[in-house]
Amino acid sequence: MTGEYYVCTGCALLCDDIEVETEDRKLSKVHAACLKGVARMKGCSDPLECTVDGEKADIDSAITKAAAILRNAKNPLIFGHGNSSSEAQKISIGLAKKTGAYIDDTSSFCQGPIVEAILQDKLRTCTLDDVRHKADVIIFWGADPSNSHPRHLSRYSYFPRGKERQRGWEEDRTAITIDIRKSSTAKICRDTRFYQIPMSADAEFMDAIVSGLSGKIPKTSFDFDKKRILELANVMKKAKFGVICVGLGLVYSLEELEPLFKLMEKLNEVSNFYLIPMVGQYNMRGFNQNLFAETGFINRVKFNSETGNANHGAENSVVEALKNKSVDAALIIGSDPLSSLPLSVARYLTEIPLITIDPCQNLTATRSTVTIPCALGGVEAGGTAVRMDGVEIELKKIVESDNLSDKEILTRIMEAI
Amino acid sequence: MGFGQFLAAPEIKLKIVTYRDVFQNTAQESSRFGEEYEKLSAVIKLDLKDISKLTIKEGDTVIVKNGFGKVVVKAQKSGYEEAHPGIAYMVNSPWSNVLVPDETGGSGVPKFKNFEVTVQGAKGEKVTGIRAL
Amino acid sequence: MANVMEIYQLLPKTNCKECGKTTCMAFAVDLLGRKVKVDDCPPLVNEAKYKANYETLLEMFGSVKDVTETGLIVHNEKCIGCGNCVVACPVNVANDPFGAGSGKAPTSDKVIFKVEDGVVKARNVQECRRFGENKILCVACIDTCPTKAIEFV
Repeated sequence: MTGEYYVCTGCALLCDDIEVETEDRKLSKVHAACLKGVARMKGCSDPLECTVDGEKADIDSAITKAAAILRNAKNPLIFGHGNSSSEAQKISIGLAKKTGAYIDDTSSFCQGPIVEAILQDKLRTCTLDDVRHKADVIIFWGADPSNSHPRHLSRYSYFPRGKERQRGWEEDRTAITIDIRKSSTAKICRDTRFYQIPMSADAEFMDAIVSGLSGKIPKTSFDFDKKRILELANVMKKAKFGVICVGLGLVYSLEELEPLFKLMEKLNEVSNFYLIPMVGQYNMRGFNQNLFAETGFINRVKFNSETGNANHGAENSVVEALKNKSVDAALIIGSDPLSSLPLSVARYLTEIPLITIDPCQNLTATRSTVTIPCALGGVEAGGTAVRMDGVEIELKKIVESDNLSDKEILTRIMEAI
Repeated sequence: MGFGQFLAAPEIKLKIVTYRDVFQNTAQESSRFGEEYEKLSAVIKLDLKDISKLTIKEGDTVIVKNGFGKVVVKAQKSGYEEAHPGIAYMVNSPWSNVLVPDETGGSGVPKFKNFEVTVQGAKGEKVTGIRAL
Repeated sequence: MANVMEIYQLLPKTNCKECGKTTCMAFAVDLLGRKVKVDDCPPLVNEAKYKANYETLLEMFGSVKDVTETGLIVHNEKCIGCGNCVVACPVNVANDPFGAGSGKAPTSDKVIFKVEDGVVKARNVQECRRFGENKILCVACIDTCPTKAIEFV
């Protein structure tokens, strides 16, 4: 062991207590990280090759070709960013500005609305360290961290001792799961603390809790046991420091955020509540913050190539831009839209010049005109990233790699345009 | 040789909810083209009642399709204590994404966790490979 | 877990006594109680006709080496390395309050649970509250496991 701590980039918890053993530029052992974090840090078994038009190429010609594709495109799309350092993201934003591109990330079809509301001060938030030290009521809503963020409960939200939480989880903390199915997380929160609601009923359930908090009878169209809702409202009311961990299940179920705003407002009238988005990719929030600092928008931006002005709107989202076929080339960084978007939407990518920058082979790369392998963030390259709660974390390089970092690749593409 | 092969396999309509699974995610980190990733991704988790309606056994392959695409995946019991006939679960993967509608109402957000499909026994047809999606 | 009859059905049922027990049924009972190992039945290991049954039994009982003195077993294939047991274990908390007890990677050699390569490893089991003279039936690691990867037998 090196006696030095590194950061795991497996998810946006960015666990910073990881010790490693290395052998021949690979991690041979990873301590304290969860299963999927270890898989991320040890690297994939099918690394990406540097190619142009399906033929092996050297990095210089791949960069030249990538630059030519972007230069010749009228409306390129730059997408990905969740698995890139903040430094790489900033260059990507500059590249988008220079080429008049659409720029977007995964938040566009997941946690975006929540992160946006937080950055606009519409939702009260806190750090995960606050949660560990203070939180006594923790609500996992449409979230199953045991699968998506395995160390969430052990590092911060349920099991650890903290400054004001010294007596252990059984006495000190109440963890509640609200979901449409009994997830792994729900199982640890025990039956009495699991609220199973029908699909798409989250907004209505929020209204019912607000009623309960207001001393009214909480009615639901699905006849949820009123006593149990009142019990829940009561636990929330008595919380010294409550936190709602918002999962994708909740985000996808809400047509608009209004019911969540109302719930948070009511909770903070009668209690003390915060909210943290369960961000997936390790630096999605970093991208949102970096683009926000540059343009005032967290995602879904189209730059005007002449004025450099940023236009924002749903029509500039990766999904709508591909659906409307309004892009004529695409650069994908650290993402695999042909896997992660509806195929009916992503299929259009196979019809246009496509560039993939990633450490690993993926579906999008197999259909790309240019593929450029990059160093694995947090393992083969350093940088900074932003944790799901907005805290900036420093990533250190652990082992050497022959691949350039995505920051270096993007810089070189930028210079070649 | 059963009798069943001469009968049309019954077809049922189901709602699909997608979810995350740590083992599948781990397999994805190792290789998207590996056997393990397919084994953990190309799966639909069904209610017992729906399994019997389909006249299939757990582990059989089924055709899951809608207006957006079609995949052959393995059928499994969901294992949830609460019955959920009419609702099936698929882990978020390229296989589920073949079926996610492109309809967004202009919002930029597809309905990843709530869409309709029809399911039918595949009579031994092989699971759709990732490169064939 | 299988019952004793299911285990018995997988044994040779010859009552050959090579294992030192008088009957295969007695062996099945001890196997279930994990007092003997699958490998303690020589015909099962050596004779080709029992190969399938031998493998089924091995799968059922995992690698018996992992059974610790307190009867603690970690089912590696189910463990996701979340560290809930690491942080919840009262012995870990007492021996390493600012590391494991505070949610972080253990900083003491005296902890019972520690995650390595994404899977929890049990050590120092003599420190477990289920061990020794004043033992109690602590379930902190079992109750907090989301995948039921920890079992006491």
